Amino acid sequence: MTPGVTPGEGGDTPGGLPGIEVMEAGEVARLLSYVAILAGSAYLFFDARALPTSRGDVLGAGAFPQLVFATLALLAAAALAASLRKVSRQALRGFGAATVQWLRHRYLVVCVLGLFGLYLAVLPILGFSLATFGFLLVTQLLLLPRSAKAIAAAVVIALLFSFGLNALFDTVFNVFLPRGGI
Amino acid sequence: MLDSLLLGAGQIFSLTTLTFMLLGSIAGIVAAAIPGFTVTMAIILTLPLTFSMPPLQGIAVMLSVYVGGYTGGLISAALLGIPGTPSSVATTFDAFPMARAGQPGRARSLVIWAAFFGTVSSTVVLIVAAPPLAIIAVKLGPWEYFSLIVFALTIIASLVAKSLLRGLMAGAIGLAISTVGPDPMMGRPRFDFGVEMLAPGLPFLVVLIGIFAISQLVSEVEDARAVRSGTSLATKDIDFQTWAVMREILMRPVNLVRSSIVGVLIGALPGAGGSIANLLAYDQAKRASKTPEKFGTGIADGVVASEAGNSATAGGGLIPMIALGIPGSAVDAILMASLMVHGVSVGPRLILDHADLVYGMFVAMIVSSLMMLVVCLASMRLFLRVTEIPKWVIVPVVIVCCVVGSFALNNRVTDLYLLGFIGVAGYALRALDYPLAPLVLGVILGPIAETNLRRALMTDADWTVFLTRPVSLLLLVAAVLSIGWAIWKHRKSTLRKEAGV
Repeated sequence: MTPGVTPGEGGDTPGGLPGIEVMEAGEVARLLSYVAILAGSAYLFFDARALPTSRGDVLGAGAFPQLVFATLALLAAAALAASLRKVSRQALRGFGAATVQWLRHRYLVVCVLGLFGLYLAVLPILGFSLATFGFLLVTQLLLLPRSAKAIAAAVVIALLFSFGLNALFDTVFNVFLPRGGI
Repeated sequence: MLDSLLLGAGQIFSLTTLTFMLLGSIAGIVAAAIPGFTVTMAIILTLPLTFSMPPLQGIAVMLSVYVGGYTGGLISAALLGIPGTPSSVATTFDAFPMARAGQPGRARSLVIWAAFFGTVSSTVVLIVAAPPLAIIAVKLGPWEYFSLIVFALTIIASLVAKSLLRGLMAGAIGLAISTVGPDPMMGRPRFDFGVEMLAPGLPFLVVLIGIFAISQLVSEVEDARAVRSGTSLATKDIDFQTWAVMREILMRPVNLVRSSIVGVLIGALPGAGGSIANLLAYDQAKRASKTPEKFGTGIADGVVASEAGNSATAGGGLIPMIALGIPGSAVDAILMASLMVHGVSVGPRLILDHADLVYGMFVAMIVSSLMMLVVCLASMRLFLRVTEIPKWVIVPVVIVCCVVGSFALNNRVTDLYLLGFIGVAGYALRALDYPLAPLVLGVILGPIAETNLRRALMTDADWTVFLTRPVSLLLLVAAVLSIGWAIWKHRKSTLRKEAGV
């Protein structure tokens, strides 16, 4: 499994940012995640208090979530406190630029996730075969080395894993994949 | 017992089941052979294909993927120094230097045989230990069950996490995810905020696929230059020395048995699993060795220890699942889900109510090990071709397989949207260095913990019962000790880092 890499970590210093600053940008990103988790869990903790209880059920539907969200909020607060000690003001100022560079360095990830989102959005409209064919073809074209052989292979693979896979599931496994509205 | 064993064996030894198992074994090995692709992913993708099969046939196929997958990771680990799965990390320590020193065939053969002996020995332990454990387990009440889940959760955080706090937070996030949707006791809607997609809750298989598979797949394309280079992964002209290596393995019985025991024990602990067992077994072998300085330079003892320890978790992990209804790892959770899909209720009564199924699973484990051995030995060169498939093909194709797997579960398009959101969240968590395994186990263990907590308090509203029942108390004390140990280890390693050791 690829280890997690935070913005700017892993030895890449896009844009020539000093290594220590880049590492701190990762800590800032984690700090922001702790803030988000703390805020979210605090909100859901209070939201869970409104859940009703019933006779015989001592705890009710809200007690366990309250326990979980309270624990999560405490952990996030502890992590936040520890993280605040590690982050300098300079790192906070440079965070925006470091994040943009981190994302720019991983533009293929952004593109693949974007294409995946688009694929899921059009899947119910176009149906599995067409949407999958489009997704596979475009994603492969984005990732493949530029050569006629690779492009031809991408077309064959796209056909096989879209129309072919649909036919396999339809006829062999009796699983009907989305057929689309057009 | 014998009747159940024969009944189960009768179902396993049918031509259809054996054929599907062989295909499953190949699929597991192939999937795990691809760097970055895990046994979990292979087994997730197999699950929808088993829906139409009878329960034992379905679970036997899953087990063959499971056993094959544990071994498949060694292919890239031994030859390229890239662990195909997290459970083959320690395999790279000695197998890779051995391969680089001109003995790639010996390295491959060593890991295959060690994996086979590890799996078989863990299955023997499983057959012996699971039934008596199940008898004890049925006597456990909701108090003990809840305390057990608490203990399991602490183990996850203390063993898996690089950062203790983030490990615990990931587990808590998993528990939080499990609270979305109808509550498990009364069916009251929770946290759906009027969104149709959230109303039925978050299906844990969709969470698993999103968290593990999607986030892993997109992380594979982080390095644009590597993706577009189309480099070959295979090594040519390899001498495998198959039978000589088998003798070499058998000449190390102590290492083999010790590593297998470590694997079984770690596998039996909910939440631990192969990713830890291979490292622990390696560590134990190094400590026991007269020449510990040679570890890491390409010696057979290191390879045997890591791979036997890793593979023994396959059987070990099934012990809590069969005896207690608690998945030892994410893979075991999917096996558990497979049984549930077939209408088999998994819990302490499983072995009592479905003895033929459980003994059939034991037989399937042995058969799967043999199949894995035969497939690996017969096609070592062929499997190298899989590692030649470039990422530009593998990544989009497996994403499509994930979509199919998520949709086939409930035939709901909204599950696919969930998959998308969870995949992005999983990638973000991975990038922020949150461990993902505790999160997934939190999702799985959450409803079990809540149900038993509420059931216990419905039986007796007194909270102190958790402390007055001996087994419950023991488990809670173990949970506290586990957390204490994790904190102590964490502080020790932090102090060492600060001191620059």
